[in-house]
Amino acid sequence: MEKNLDTLWHSILSEMETQLSRANFATWLKNSRLADEKEGTLFVVLPNNFAKEWVENKYQKNLLGAARNFDDSVKKLEFLVSGQKLDLAPRKVSATDFNKFENKINLEFQTDPETNLNPRYTLNSFVVGSSNELAFSAASAIVQNVGSKYNPFFVYGGVGLGKTHLIQAIGNEIKAHYRGKIKSKYVSSEKFTSDVVWAIRNRRMEDIKKKYRDVDVLIIDDIQFIGGKEKTEEEFFHTFNTLYENNKQIIISSDRPPQSIPTLEERLRSRFEGGLIADIVYPEYEMRTAIIKGKLQESNRELGDAAIDLIARKVKKNVRELEGILNKILFHQEMRGAPVTEKVVEEIIEKAAQNFTRRVNDSQIIKSVAEFYNVSVGDLEGHVRKKEIVEPRQIAMYLLRDMLDMSYPYIGEKLGKDHTTAIHAVKKIDQEIERNSLLNQKIISIKELIFRA
Amino acid sequence: MKVAVIKNNLKEGIAAVERAAGENANLPILKNVLLETEDNKLKLTATNLEIAASFYVSGKIIENGKTTVPLDVFSGLITNISSERIDLESKKNVLEIKTDNYQATIHGISSEEFPLIPKISNLNEYIEIESAALKEALSQTIIASQFSELRPELNSIFVDFSLDNLKLVTTDSFRLAEKTLTGGQFQSNRQEPFNLLLPLRSGQEVLRILGDDGKVRLCHDGNQILFKTGQAEFFSRLMEGTFPDYRAVVPQKFSAEANISRQELLNALKLAGIFSARTNEVKMNVLENKKAVGISSSDQTLGENISTIPAKFRGDAKEMSFNWRYLSDGLKALKTDEVFLGLNEDNKPALLKSPNDASYFYLLMPILKT
Repeated sequence: MEKNLDTLWHSILSEMETQLSRANFATWLKNSRLADEKEGTLFVVLPNNFAKEWVENKYQKNLLGAARNFDDSVKKLEFLVSGQKLDLAPRKVSATDFNKFENKINLEFQTDPETNLNPRYTLNSFVVGSSNELAFSAASAIVQNVGSKYNPFFVYGGVGLGKTHLIQAIGNEIKAHYRGKIKSKYVSSEKFTSDVVWAIRNRRMEDIKKKYRDVDVLIIDDIQFIGGKEKTEEEFFHTFNTLYENNKQIIISSDRPPQSIPTLEERLRSRFEGGLIADIVYPEYEMRTAIIKGKLQESNRELGDAAIDLIARKVKKNVRELEGILNKILFHQEMRGAPVTEKVVEEIIEKAAQNFTRRVNDSQIIKSVAEFYNVSVGDLEGHVRKKEIVEPRQIAMYLLRDMLDMSYPYIGEKLGKDHTTAIHAVKKIDQEIERNSLLNQKIISIKELIFRA
Repeated sequence: MKVAVIKNNLKEGIAAVERAAGENANLPILKNVLLETEDNKLKLTATNLEIAASFYVSGKIIENGKTTVPLDVFSGLITNISSERIDLESKKNVLEIKTDNYQATIHGISSEEFPLIPKISNLNEYIEIESAALKEALSQTIIASQFSELRPELNSIFVDFSLDNLKLVTTDSFRLAEKTLTGGQFQSNRQEPFNLLLPLRSGQEVLRILGDDGKVRLCHDGNQILFKTGQAEFFSRLMEGTFPDYRAVVPQKFSAEANISRQELLNALKLAGIFSARTNEVKMNVLENKKAVGISSSDQTLGENISTIPAKFRGDAKEMSFNWRYLSDGLKALKTDEVFLGLNEDNKPALLKSPNDASYFYLLMPILKT
């Protein structure tokens, strides 16, 4: 039955299309559909009131004529606006909606003041795949054997892949598992730094020592940011030692492995490397699909399999971007009140990708590479042939080509070399990436720096 | 069409409809304004197919008719013409503008092409509100809303009519404002209570169109709404979705209450704002044996400050942090010299209102310390 309505409407529209100008057709009839047919009356659904008013007054005769050509039992047309639902049950209200509201108003502030952990993060809601299997099983093992099994536990990976989720989940699980007998504390390295600064200024170092050395599980997020801040590093080093000697669990996250944080002091680095280092890499296709399905279930929404497949195939960057795109698509779906087609999904993804690259320019890339390797922009752009400049410069060339598709002569000129050097560098890095995962990791980190800039 | 109008009247009309015009690659006529004679007046209409605004300009109608011209061109001309009296005459799709020392012709598009403004089916059922009261209510509530792509139902003003009162509510989930209009401020012949979601943008437009005098009539059916004043009409589609049941989060009791001078608190917040550059966070403390409140903020690199304001506290309060901009927004919406502030433990919203005035309140979530 439904199929027939669609084909009938399609035929009618094809005929109308020949009678109207393209603009008029696109504005007034494009997003229409046939909702029902009852005793010779066709119920036509139009996207908004303006379209209804226009079509009802101007095109009714033509439409009716066209309809009769295909089905002579049609006597009348009725026009509706989408959303003005035929006789669908009214939308479910109150209880669930109210809960959603409450969650939202509290979510932002829901962190537990004692531990700083956000109870939203649990191990159950963490989607596991081969890209994060090691990190996840280590996390589960730590919950069972706090402080003895993998200590310190160092997890690294790109932006939006779930590091924070995982390490906060460990804290939450420990709290639930031991009913609060084991004291956890979660802190971002930025917060740790500002605490140390505050303590130095107010001569209250003892407070800080007590605050951080008096816990059983210390979780520090984004440790790469303490690199280069000497006093903070020192304080962290002593805290680390104290906790470690007393068999307290230490959990650390970073966007790159310890050996790639250039400003980190050697003694800290070697300590990080003494425990378990696990990485989280980009999720593969199956896992991305699982994540999308999980999100849909969480928000009680539905999306066609084809659309899910398309999102999982196209969006490869990170989980946060995946969520962002999914949200946009769901919003689109709600606004239009119609299922989204693959074409719409593709458009949304493309638009998001464009936004991404438009923000990046060449000097940003060079600056970020220089920042990552701790060299000066002048060195990169100059003629210096020092060994420590060679790799950064080649990577900068590669990124200019890869991200902005710049011409080789331009790249050469920009970085004080000629175009053959640029061609060589891009080719070399391109091949190297396949073999050398450390280099790949570096490039990913640099890209993140660029996008953050 | 042939009409003679006074420049300032026409300017007022253009200003009222200007922002309803739209951009649409398929339908270039949306950039135009429809000029037509109706009821011995010149009626201007603009629409973007989401909203539509009309304004009746009084003038001398010599010959009936209608046409459309690009609104930006028309507006530019009328604004800069120096003469008081303007003659407009349309021949086919060309509009001729004439004053005693100026003459122009603008090429337009046939009025046949202009979208038809949807009609409301039950114009006889309405609520009639004092313009000034609706204007105040809108301006007091709109501040608590901001555009969010994720929660479209919050990009709107919840209008809740329950026969003897009319509530306007907005929230962006960090703050919430509710205004109640009561019997004296409106009349209605509607028999049933109803509620609807007015898109935020439409609310802002209505606010612009409303004058300080007279009344505005509000009619709606299904998914559209019409605001009608003596001179203007504003049409909008309504938002779909369900507004959260916000009543449950409105606190009924407070662990601490205070009456504070509105102006002094506003000044203190402005001062504290200077030191809270990035996070907008200011701290509020009860001082001097509950006889004063301290508003302080600090920044590692800039420095720190504290203002002390006399206040009468009842009950106990710990230190709390707020976004000073949000707090100022709420204070600015109030008109009285003294304001009532109700506080609860950490995670609960604070409430702001004028003492002895139950018609308006502003809720604000505190920032939780980390």
